[in-house]
Amino acid sequence: MMGQTLKLRVASAVTLAPTLKAFRFVPAEGGLVPASGPGAHLRLFLRDGDKVHRNAYSLIANPDDRSHLSIIVRRVAASKGGSAFLHEQVREGDVIEAGLPANLFPVIRTARRHFMVSGGIGLTPFLAYIAAFEAGGTPWELHHFCRPDERGVFEALLDPYAGTRVHIHSGGTLDVLDGPLSHQPLGTHVYTCGPDALMTGALERAAELGWPKARLHSESFGGAVAGGAPFIAVLRRSGIEVAVDAETGLLDAIEAAGVEAPCLCRGGACGQCLIEVADGVPEHRDHFLDHEERASNRFIMTCVSRSKTPRIVLDL
Amino acid sequence: MLISNIKSRPVYERLRLDGAGRRHLVVSDAPRDLPEVIDGVESAGGLLGYWMVASTATVDGQPQTASAGGNAGEVETRAFRAVSHLMDRLTHRLAQESVGFRLYAIGEEGFIWEIARLAREAGLESYECQTAHAGSMRRKVFCVHCKTITSGVTTSLVACDGCGAHLVVRDHFSRTHAAFMGVLADAEAPGDLPPVEELFP
Repeated sequence: MMGQTLKLRVASAVTLAPTLKAFRFVPAEGGLVPASGPGAHLRLFLRDGDKVHRNAYSLIANPDDRSHLSIIVRRVAASKGGSAFLHEQVREGDVIEAGLPANLFPVIRTARRHFMVSGGIGLTPFLAYIAAFEAGGTPWELHHFCRPDERGVFEALLDPYAGTRVHIHSGGTLDVLDGPLSHQPLGTHVYTCGPDALMTGALERAAELGWPKARLHSESFGGAVAGGAPFIAVLRRSGIEVAVDAETGLLDAIEAAGVEAPCLCRGGACGQCLIEVADGVPEHRDHFLDHEERASNRFIMTCVSRSKTPRIVLDL
Repeated sequence: MLISNIKSRPVYERLRLDGAGRRHLVVSDAPRDLPEVIDGVESAGGLLGYWMVASTATVDGQPQTASAGGNAGEVETRAFRAVSHLMDRLTHRLAQESVGFRLYAIGEEGFIWEIARLAREAGLESYECQTAHAGSMRRKVFCVHCKTITSGVTTSLVACDGCGAHLVVRDHFSRTHAAFMGVLADAEAPGDLPPVEELFP
């Protein structure tokens, strides 16, 4: 079980660069794709032999256009297989399975102006942002950082919006942000997506220039769901034990065992899947619990978190 | 007849300079010494302004530089003839400001929430604009029947400036209107009015 899933047909698969490929999906059985908002991502369930890769990608098209869902996939060298599978095995016409779009990186609707800082493939959520801002007439500004050899690819992606709002930097320093961050009108919000060093660097510079935390937003990819040491989850109320392997998330394993567990965002953000821990030490990967709650080891967010101990006993 | 524990009734704390900000402006509806109204000015660096309403025709609103005392840098002080004079200049200032700015307002509730409204309209969020109460407790009262706001109300009962209805002044507060709610006092038994008390000196 993976919650409610969609069947999507690959309408096009276009190579943008040796490691970048754009995919456009349409509903396999016709109709419209589910509603989502700018910043939403799509989790794909890719059946590769007897393995299932679960990879999440930001949606790049204007969500108001419900005719298709589009993503750009970077082939990762140290890939567990998902991005390589998409690059090599998935062809136009194939039907693949996906979760419903979820949004952990929404636009702040009350913002007067949107200031975006992206690095490399971290541009993708902002392609959806920009499409929505352009449609709504909201002021925006983008600073994109990339390697010199990929500059052309990103220029092409941003070509429809070329002009004073798009700034592409391939010089490797964030110093160019200081000027623009010092002169944003009241009511501006900052969003950043990309490598950790870029996001941290951009947020630190903004804070240094007097930006309150509540005006700063970064993409927290719910990507770290799987991956980690295997462990056994003991479901006390259901009276069963569930083996969680290195590749599977706790919530997925619980659902696969046929137990209904609460959940909503499946990205560690909403708090819906909170379960009490009776014994064992959780490895917290969510953004919901505060410092004290984490330290107490009394709760776990099953959708993203795992166990530090070989066994963890849950009140489920 | 007043209902206590109304959640919309603002609770004020003393102003404290937010050291994370890069430019700070304190506005006051009366001449007050800066250290009396706000703590932490020593962490403001040099970019601190203090605007006050002097309520006299002898001031011109021009900037003057003064020491904030102690380790603090200089403070740019401006004295304005009236609240309207200050509001007018503040609107211009906010339109030119950029993120990193912090605003602090102290004075009567009608004044500080008008400032908060200007700030909100300019794009500041509540965490960038602090308010603190000082001076008279008199209230602006919003008539729920005719939407007129009656100013300077010090009593539990007031005749609406708009429709003349006798209004009970409640503790329900509107940040949008910078006013308290006033509802008809004798709706159940016309002409039967409770005694008038001086509640908001």
